[in-house]
Amino acid sequence: MSKLNVIVCAKQVPDPEGPADAFQVDSEAKKIIPVGIPPVINPFDENALEVALRIKEHHAATVKVISMGGQLARPVLRKALAAGADDLILLEDPHFKDLNSFSTAYVLASAIKKMEGYDLILTGRQAGDWDFGVTGLLISEILQIPGISFAQKVEIEDHHVLVEKLSLNGYEVVKAPLPVLVTVSGEAGELRYVSVRALQGVGKKPIETYTAKDLEIAPASLEGRKIVDLVSTNVRRECKFIEGVSPLEKGENLAACMKNEMLI
Amino acid sequence: MNNATREDGGILVLAEKEGQGIAPMTLELLGMGRRIAEETKETVYAAMLGHEIANSTKEISQFADRVYSLDHSLLANFQAELYAGALEELCRNLNPDIVLMGHTLTSLDLAPRLAFKMGVQIMTDCIQLSIVPETGNLLCSKPVYGGKVVTTFELKKKPFIVTLRPKAVEPFGQPRPVQGEIIDFDPVINESTAKVQLIETIREESVSLNKAEAIVAGGRGIRDAEGLKLLKELVRVLGRHLNRVELGGSRPLVDARLIPSSRQIGLTGEKVAPAIYIAVGISGSLQHVTGILGAKKIIAINSNPKAPIFGAADYGVIGGFEDVLPALIRKLEEFGCRN
Repeated sequence: MSKLNVIVCAKQVPDPEGPADAFQVDSEAKKIIPVGIPPVINPFDENALEVALRIKEHHAATVKVISMGGQLARPVLRKALAAGADDLILLEDPHFKDLNSFSTAYVLASAIKKMEGYDLILTGRQAGDWDFGVTGLLISEILQIPGISFAQKVEIEDHHVLVEKLSLNGYEVVKAPLPVLVTVSGEAGELRYVSVRALQGVGKKPIETYTAKDLEIAPASLEGRKIVDLVSTNVRRECKFIEGVSPLEKGENLAACMKNEMLI
Repeated sequence: MNNATREDGGILVLAEKEGQGIAPMTLELLGMGRRIAEETKETVYAAMLGHEIANSTKEISQFADRVYSLDHSLLANFQAELYAGALEELCRNLNPDIVLMGHTLTSLDLAPRLAFKMGVQIMTDCIQLSIVPETGNLLCSKPVYGGKVVTTFELKKKPFIVTLRPKAVEPFGQPRPVQGEIIDFDPVINESTAKVQLIETIREESVSLNKAEAIVAGGRGIRDAEGLKLLKELVRVLGRHLNRVELGGSRPLVDARLIPSSRQIGLTGEKVAPAIYIAVGISGSLQHVTGILGAKKIIAINSNPKAPIFGAADYGVIGGFEDVLPALIRKLEEFGCRN
């Protein structure tokens, strides 16, 4: 079998682990403005990259990471190269900012079609910013290849993919012929550790960049998200702290409190 | 071959089975469908796909005006490509204004495919839906950024395809006295469109977190099997006071393989609404908290006084769970003896 072409779609998002007050809402402009938190690679896309890198450990494979956006932070995305990806390809154009899921999938699929063949396309199950969780399957529909959702394990065997996909109360093992698209869930495992040294090592590696024009995409064909309203969520409750001189006493007092408040 | 009468409009709910009955989510979808239908004076349809599903479609007919039964041997097991094709055929015949699905693993595997086939937008994980009276467009509110912000989107092209977050709306209440009509719909199923082949189904333990009265959940702080043992001990002793006490956890506990993903609570896991939720060693990221908003009382135990979980809790204990839990368990045990 010739070399496997594995493509990982990675989105740059504001760190989803950031505190709630780091996401300021501009209701007028209908925008969410992250304040003081760095962008990261979407955690589920990191899971997808880890899946790709594990496949590369067992098969002759090339791993290409593509990322799309209006303006992308190269140092953030270079992490993919430092982790072991062979190439990083950016689809960067002011017209690629804030697209809806369909247009996002269309741009990514257009770029993938331009590559020299693909056997396996991996995406995260959803992105940590808008949490739509549909772009991956839409790419598979556009490319007319099988799409498999929520993988916790992906293996290549005899020009097929074998996937453990999450299901209610367990998982299913499914099989499909390459080329195929798989969306990856957190259960697949975190991205391997990337050292500062490895990051420095890829600091000068060239990155290919494509614009809408390069991909022959008419900006007028792209659609944004139609946002009507934005409000901050208030999840705050009034917390009554249980007193006690030691954790042990607090534990006992919690039990008493549960009884007094008729929780039990 | 289709035998549906062609009439436009209506709200189509995709019903899902769970065990022998219909999934609790389906009743929530029907509840939402009914709420919209009261405004728009539309019909609420339910559709169920599967094989030998007569009992389930009969059960659903108590809650919907009409039930479409897509009963076919090739639909016996969920196969996303075949299911999406069959559902597309039903939609093209029925021309519903809205297709409501649960935000479940199954429906999330279907909804984007259906939207693509129908050439329309899709909105996932919605918590609120309403029709704009002037335009008939659909407003969909959904939590974004891990639940930090709720955004309302407008869908303009029908059918509006939407997945609804579990536990976001009240389920349909009592069955209605008049049963809805059940109609057999035979989709043309082309087996060759199924490229993904099911090899094996692995059942892990079956849990129903969404029915639990109390949930003891652990997070990153739990670290190992020793910690998990204490959580299980608390589940056991609470079980003497309450019905249906379940063990759950946040994503780190699943990623550490200490609990199966069926017990994960949060944005990418279950959304739960128990009477009591005890969060142990859970820092309280919004990705987790967004899954427990429906809980009546939240108790947080954490050694870090600055953990955000305290901001989302009704009762807080600052202390290491290794010390707090044994004392709590012992006391709860004593109460049990007195009863």
